[in-house]
Amino acid sequence: MSIGVQLLACFCAALAFSVLMNQPRSTVPVSALIAVAGYGLFILLGQGVTAYFLATILIGLSCEICARLMKRTATLFFTGAIVPLVPGVGLYNTMRYVVEGQYAKAVSTGVITILAICGIALAVTITSVLFSSFTSRKKKPC
Amino acid sequence: MDALTITLDAVCLASRIILENGGETYRAEETVERMCHGLKVPQVDVLALPTGLMLTLETDEGNTITRIVRVRNRTINLDRIDRCNDISRHVAEGKMNAEDALKELKSIQQMKPIGQWGMVPASALSAAFFTVMLGGTWLDFAVSFVCGAVVQLVMPPLSRHRVPTLISSMLAGAQVTLLALLGTLVFANVHVEPIIAGAIMPLLPGLATTNAVRDTLRGDLVSGGARIIEAILCAVMLAAGIGLMLSMWGGVGL
Repeated sequence: MSIGVQLLACFCAALAFSVLMNQPRSTVPVSALIAVAGYGLFILLGQGVTAYFLATILIGLSCEICARLMKRTATLFFTGAIVPLVPGVGLYNTMRYVVEGQYAKAVSTGVITILAICGIALAVTITSVLFSSFTSRKKKPC
Repeated sequence: MDALTITLDAVCLASRIILENGGETYRAEETVERMCHGLKVPQVDVLALPTGLMLTLETDEGNTITRIVRVRNRTINLDRIDRCNDISRHVAEGKMNAEDALKELKSIQQMKPIGQWGMVPASALSAAFFTVMLGGTWLDFAVSFVCGAVVQLVMPPLSRHRVPTLISSMLAGAQVTLLALLGTLVFANVHVEPIIAGAIMPLLPGLATTNAVRDTLRGDLVSGGARIIEAILCAVMLAAGIGLMLSMWGGVGL
């Protein structure tokens, strides 16, 4: 499958997932586009742990910016945008190796999967800290 | 009903909606504080947890009123959170009084989600397109479509009969794996890896993980820790379901 088809599939999948999460209508296409951008960067960077981190940074920043432009909370965009990066393949392969008795492979795949999740979590941390300290300098309407 | 009871009802309902529909706990706390500020309550203290909420209001006469809200059913419905945010913003800015807010919040709570007949195709399509995204063929797309649809058909009755979420995640993992493996029996060249990986991606606790990170960052250690454990257990049970089904399939020797 070419990258174009993959990215198109990524867009459709994120769109369907956003509907599944009952996202407000106006945010659905935006978060699907952010998902495509993030997944595109992820493929471009070679799908390693660093790629998870950097792609999530891109997604987090775009979500925060869109949240401010559209006056919604960033979580609304983020839920649909991050889902293509969820390491489903790693989880499945870890279990397959466990079942097949290839424990060395299972451990290495499992560790990489956990690191990927940590990379995503770290990126979420960094972007939300960045934006919350950035906005708290302005006066909040409360 | 006196004004204070209405205020209390409104803020409790607002935070309940946020906690029940997948909002962060700090958002529930902030909503209560902002709404109380807008409604001119002199003093409020609130502690939100993923499974409940406690708040104490102090009246002008110096009496305190405490209420505890227990949150049992947790789903994800971002539209409700969004609408609830709008209302709390209006209340905080003084554009809406407690009575109107309570009325609006009640209508949010009764608002139907997209419904089973919208959920099934959405779930099926997201599973199927994730499979293609991960390098599956169009035949894999079809098998994954069935996996996603069946998961969405089975999960709501389970949660209606109060089957614990962890058990239903395990069943979902097992079911996706079984359907993918059955697919290999029916069609010759079906790829199991993209099908299972694609079909479990919508089931993995992505929102729970990001909420856990955000809650922990804000210093809500109890909520953050509870959510991290919830996310880990959910993923582990899903993996256990996959592993169980794979080993049973291997044991049958097909």
